[in-house]
Amino acid sequence: MDDFEIELRQALERRPAPPGLKHRLMERRRWRRTQHQRGHAVLWQRLAASVALACALGGGLAWRHQQEQRQGEAARQQVLTALRVTSHALNKVNERLASHGRADQE
Amino acid sequence: MARDWQPQFERLVDEHQSMVFSLAMRMTGDRGLAEEIAQDVFLELDRHMDKIESPQHACFWLRRVAMSRSADALRRRRVRGVDLWVEIEEDYGARPEEKSSPLGARLEGLLVTLPQPQRAALVLRYQEDLTPEEIAATLDAPLATVKSHLQRGLKLLRAKAACHLREYIRGA
Repeated sequence: MDDFEIELRQALERRPAPPGLKHRLMERRRWRRTQHQRGHAVLWQRLAASVALACALGGGLAWRHQQEQRQGEAARQQVLTALRVTSHALNKVNERLASHGRADQE
Repeated sequence: MARDWQPQFERLVDEHQSMVFSLAMRMTGDRGLAEEIAQDVFLELDRHMDKIESPQHACFWLRRVAMSRSADALRRRRVRGVDLWVEIEEDYGARPEEKSSPLGARLEGLLVTLPQPQRAALVLRYQEDLTPEEIAATLDAPLATVKSHLQRGLKLLRAKAACHLREYIRGA
């Protein structure tokens, strides 16, 4: 190593960090951690709200589906009853017509 | 496997703040920017504390990230079209109590006029006293490239120093 390199080495000695650098750094670190935690809390809140909304929507849809099924079943029962009544009435008419036919033959 | 050494953030800051700040300042030539870079480097260290395995690893990691962040800052400034060195004072904003000898300050000032890869190699060689192999590992560059940057940088700096210091001596 020649004189020039020795001079360069002396010129490039480490400089002390500015006063208060560590303090400012620790402040930023604290602030960042708070933001990070707040970010996590907001994330969890959003997640919980999304889950609640999804549950409410799912529940609503399931309830609506059930209602429709119930109404469909009731309508089916009504149709069946109407068919049964009609069938009964037609049987009666048929019986009467048959009895009238027999009376005419006699 | 459990590690014997557990990194302590505050202790690492105490031990290495001068190194990180000096590297950033000699690479960027701007005290404010250097402090910002130093803070960013330590905050990044805080995020990666679980990956630091030993005091040597911490030192290597800090040097590497400080150099890389400084290069990024210089690139960003170039993209924005700011010629950093035009704004720099003779001793690029050093505090009065930190000023080195006039000759040293001149050399330091001339160093910042070198191309960035050569400056990086010289700063690591003469500030941090690293071998070319260690510089290559820090900068993630081939050894031959680092040796070439060292040689060319030193040659260019000698030439600049010969020219400028002659004027300085004549002026003194």
